[in-house]
Amino acid sequence: MSERSRLAGRLAPLALLLVLAATSLLPTDAGLEFPDADASAANRLSNTLDALPDDPLVLLGFDPDLGTYAEVRPTVRTLFADLLERGARLAFISLTPEGRALAVSEIERLQVSDVDGGRLVDLGYLPGAEAGLVSIADVLSGADGDSALGPSALEGESPALAVVVGGNDIGPRSWVEQVEPRVPDLRIAAIVPSVLLPEVQPYVEGGQLSALIATPRDGATYRAAAAVGDFASVAEMDGPPVVSVLLGMLAAIVLLGAGVWSRLIDLARGGRAGEPA
Amino acid sequence: MRRATTPAIVIVVGVLLLVDFLVVNDSLSQLADLAVNAVILIGGGAAVAAVAALAVRRAGDLWRRRGDPVGAVLVLVGIGAMLIAGLRPGSAGATDPAVRWLISALLVPIAATLFGLLFFTTIAAARRSAAGRGRQALVLVAAAAVMLILLLPFGGEAGDRMSAAASWALDVPIAAVFRGILLGVAILVAVVAARTMLGVGSADE
Repeated sequence: MSERSRLAGRLAPLALLLVLAATSLLPTDAGLEFPDADASAANRLSNTLDALPDDPLVLLGFDPDLGTYAEVRPTVRTLFADLLERGARLAFISLTPEGRALAVSEIERLQVSDVDGGRLVDLGYLPGAEAGLVSIADVLSGADGDSALGPSALEGESPALAVVVGGNDIGPRSWVEQVEPRVPDLRIAAIVPSVLLPEVQPYVEGGQLSALIATPRDGATYRAAAAVGDFASVAEMDGPPVVSVLLGMLAAIVLLGAGVWSRLIDLARGGRAGEPA
Repeated sequence: MRRATTPAIVIVVGVLLLVDFLVVNDSLSQLADLAVNAVILIGGGAAVAAVAALAVRRAGDLWRRRGDPVGAVLVLVGIGAMLIAGLRPGSAGATDPAVRWLISALLVPIAATLFGLLFFTTIAAARRSAAGRGRQALVLVAAAAVMLILLLPFGGEAGDRMSAAASWALDVPIAAVFRGILLGVAILVAVVAARTMLGVGSADE
């Protein structure tokens, strides 16, 4: 590799960062759009929220991971605004340290946005992974209402809906496995990054999840339809600039394509070299 | 004798939780709660022990002047700052404003930046693996590139068709393979659990 190409390789990330920063300032996403023509996933979530009673308590199983949270964050924040607009109280509980850190950050943001403190219930962090989920389920089902380790701040009140914001560790699959059999009346919805879609989608088809938002397109479709009313400052309706996302994806496609192409050329040359004269 | 302890605990706790799930009985329920709470406490204790071990390890590195001294100091200062913020007299613990500030203003942005930078290293690593010798890596990276193309956020009819193709790929072939893997893992876990409970073979066999 020549010195010039080596230098170009080292400067490529910086150049891409500069291009992304510049494109994030562009005023329009003309010709580009995230919202999906198939709005079934977003409609399912909206229908689930429409079915909530007045002033519901919504349990948020908040366990995203730092690596993928950026993908779902606009949708999650819009969901907060949507729920608050519907008069819901939000009860946060986390079963992973990363999820707890992000829950603390989001609760802080909601408080800064002047959301009434009485509508935010911080149930904290519960260790033990699946055992923690069993403890939560037992408290919700009333089987272990006086548990010293379960989410006692619920004070015996049953949530009308559980929304699982999932990541790589504790996600909708664990909730369906541990909570759904113990609290069959509790409906569970989920917002997860795309990487979990193949794992979680069957639970929607099976009815164990009442709604699932698992791709940026589904998230954008939901955000476009959500009515956040007085809580527009809580929501993150726009999401990331589509031009920036497009450029990042194109950069990835070019780099991956170059790797595949060079390998295919090598294979073709190797095949020819091996041919009998 | 020691080798029988772990399977015995697994058998007792597993059967207890299973029976508690199937039979309504207060005594059984209390016993099952005891087991679940014990696991929760062990999980919490393990997390604290892990942090303590990390602090001891980094302090040892500093003391013996080995490894990365800057990294060790940062780890220790970070742990110390969080402990002081959460445990100082008058602190509200995990909900204290100082703890919330440390998490919201420092921890989350730093970690998000770190993961953002992983974009470059991940793509570069994928490119290198595709250009290498393995044909499996070639197929993997080629499939990823095709999925990325299908997921490009174009509008109009072309965008809808690409989105529909991406959804089909995720819902049918990828989901089928993924479910197959999950089913295989579940069967494997069930077989290993049954072997453990029946005393067939051993964990380190």
